[in-house]
Amino acid sequence: MKQSFWKFFFLIWLVCISNASHALEVIEILGGKASQIPVAVIPFKDNNAQKSMQLMHEVITNDLNRSGLFSSIDISGVSDYPIDEREVNFSNWAALQSQFIVVGKIDAIGRSNSQMQVTWSLIDIYKEKTVLSVAIKGQPSQYRVIAHRIADTIYEKLTGSKGVFDTNIAFVKKLGKEKYSLFIADYDGHNPRAIVNSRYSIISPRWSPNGKKIAYVSFEKKKPVIYVQDIETGKRTLLANFRGNNSAPAWSPDSKKLAIVLTYSANSQIYTIDADGKNIKQLMRTRSINTEPAWSPNGKEIYFSSDRAGSAQIYKVDVDTNEVVRVTFEGNNNVSPSLSPDGKLLLFLNQDNGSYRVAIQNLLSNQMLKLTNGPDDESPIFSPNGHMVLFTYKDYGKVTKIGTVSINGLKMTPIDVGSEAILESTWGPLYD
Amino acid sequence: MKNSILLASLLAVLAAGCSTTDINDPMGLNAPFPELESRTGDGSEVDLIGSSQGKKLNQSALDELAAAAELADRSVYFDYDSFAIKSDFEGVISNHATFINKHDAAVVVYGNADYRGSHEYNLALGQKRAVAVKQALEALGVNGSAIETISFGEEHANQTCTGSTCGQDRRADIGYVGE
Repeated sequence: MKQSFWKFFFLIWLVCISNASHALEVIEILGGKASQIPVAVIPFKDNNAQKSMQLMHEVITNDLNRSGLFSSIDISGVSDYPIDEREVNFSNWAALQSQFIVVGKIDAIGRSNSQMQVTWSLIDIYKEKTVLSVAIKGQPSQYRVIAHRIADTIYEKLTGSKGVFDTNIAFVKKLGKEKYSLFIADYDGHNPRAIVNSRYSIISPRWSPNGKKIAYVSFEKKKPVIYVQDIETGKRTLLANFRGNNSAPAWSPDSKKLAIVLTYSANSQIYTIDADGKNIKQLMRTRSINTEPAWSPNGKEIYFSSDRAGSAQIYKVDVDTNEVVRVTFEGNNNVSPSLSPDGKLLLFLNQDNGSYRVAIQNLLSNQMLKLTNGPDDESPIFSPNGHMVLFTYKDYGKVTKIGTVSINGLKMTPIDVGSEAILESTWGPLYD
Repeated sequence: MKNSILLASLLAVLAAGCSTTDINDPMGLNAPFPELESRTGDGSEVDLIGSSQGKKLNQSALDELAAAAELADRSVYFDYDSFAIKSDFEGVISNHATFINKHDAAVVVYGNADYRGSHEYNLALGQKRAVAVKQALEALGVNGSAIETISFGEEHANQTCTGSTCGQDRRADIGYVGE
């Protein structure tokens, strides 16, 4: 009872941020699943393009569904596929309760028809008019990227926020005994490529906000050390290899500095260091554990986990004054903090009754909402628009997998990257 | 109408939820940190483990270590969320303290944690266990600057442990430079 009461207020607060970003439809979130935006993505008419293109509507549908803000309409009983507004029978689609439909066609173009052009429209069924009509060209092999960009365009038009369907994630997989790889892939797990292979564990991958580099912790020196790797060139540098442990890299919002954790011969403590390894400074000095630093979007505060009050809880420290404030109070332990892009939501891992779950806390009201069911969820990180969370969970065979959950808690979707166990994962930034 | 309900609700949230408290570290500052002397900026293959004071074990000390039954036990186990050395393991620590002092040996204590919870926080928990063993050795006269502490966190842990079997991973192991 109490939880649903607070969930109500929490959702109202989400609606407020949505309004601020000119979203028209997100307000319906309050009604739960019934008020997700109903949309039907119709298979695009294929004028002699390649077979793979025919999957584009599925990619777009999966993208929109994953966000938790849309519900896809079952079109299995529909036989006529319009390609633009003139061909739409509005009363039929209204009967299916589809508020919007996406239609289009694919034409082979260019020299020897080697390129394709997708001409698509977003149509408002209730208002009986075309909202958007766009033509986009590309190579047939790029059909997934083109579909993700179409989904991004639809998402931004209907929610007022940027879509994240054309972004990347990174994850570490254990491929076998003494065989670990750090992969980069599309946000939905497609097109993975390994950027580091190692005999030793790799943890804590973190994308620089400018998208150019990834910092991570490697155990290849028989102890944890921090590398920064250029994604384009593959060249990597050892950022921190001090006595003791070197871990938990966190990029500052301007990509110029990192917060890191060093131990020397005592408990974990937080430092800041320039991205070129210069100018190292200790942030606080306590007897207790201070770890898992995460910057606020304005770069003025660092959130972190600490056992200074006994159990692990999340605190924030002012980077200039070193003043510390406790942030989480509910639950046995709260760890792994990170901030939403607008700085208003804290994302973390909550441990209660033996179960680790992904949770968010409204930093205005300090109200907490658990997004996942546990019992072994970890590694939560926001999508670059703050509307979804990437996290790891253990399946019934106790193999760690990755998935996304929408921050309205309505949609949890696995990401299929194969059967091998995942260690940790992270989400890259939006590209300009 | 809709807006006024929203506003009223938001105000209720604001009024009810403001419980942030200032908690400055009540425990005071730790002893001064060592200088940042052991940095190797270029990423060359420097084995930093073993850079502590104290001696690498020579062959006769290695033979003694291998032969001594009381030194075979290297592990100190901890209770869940605890960093206190249990009385069961005082013997392990004092046996090694005697050996370390005799040979002025350079030591590495490796901390571990079970798989549950975050990798980074577990790294910090393993470190805290390693530090607890280091401090117990220091209390028996071992020179602290000869002891290096390293954490593997949960990276060596059984990823499918349940209940009491997870206790095997809440552990710190005493190791020697040169072995």
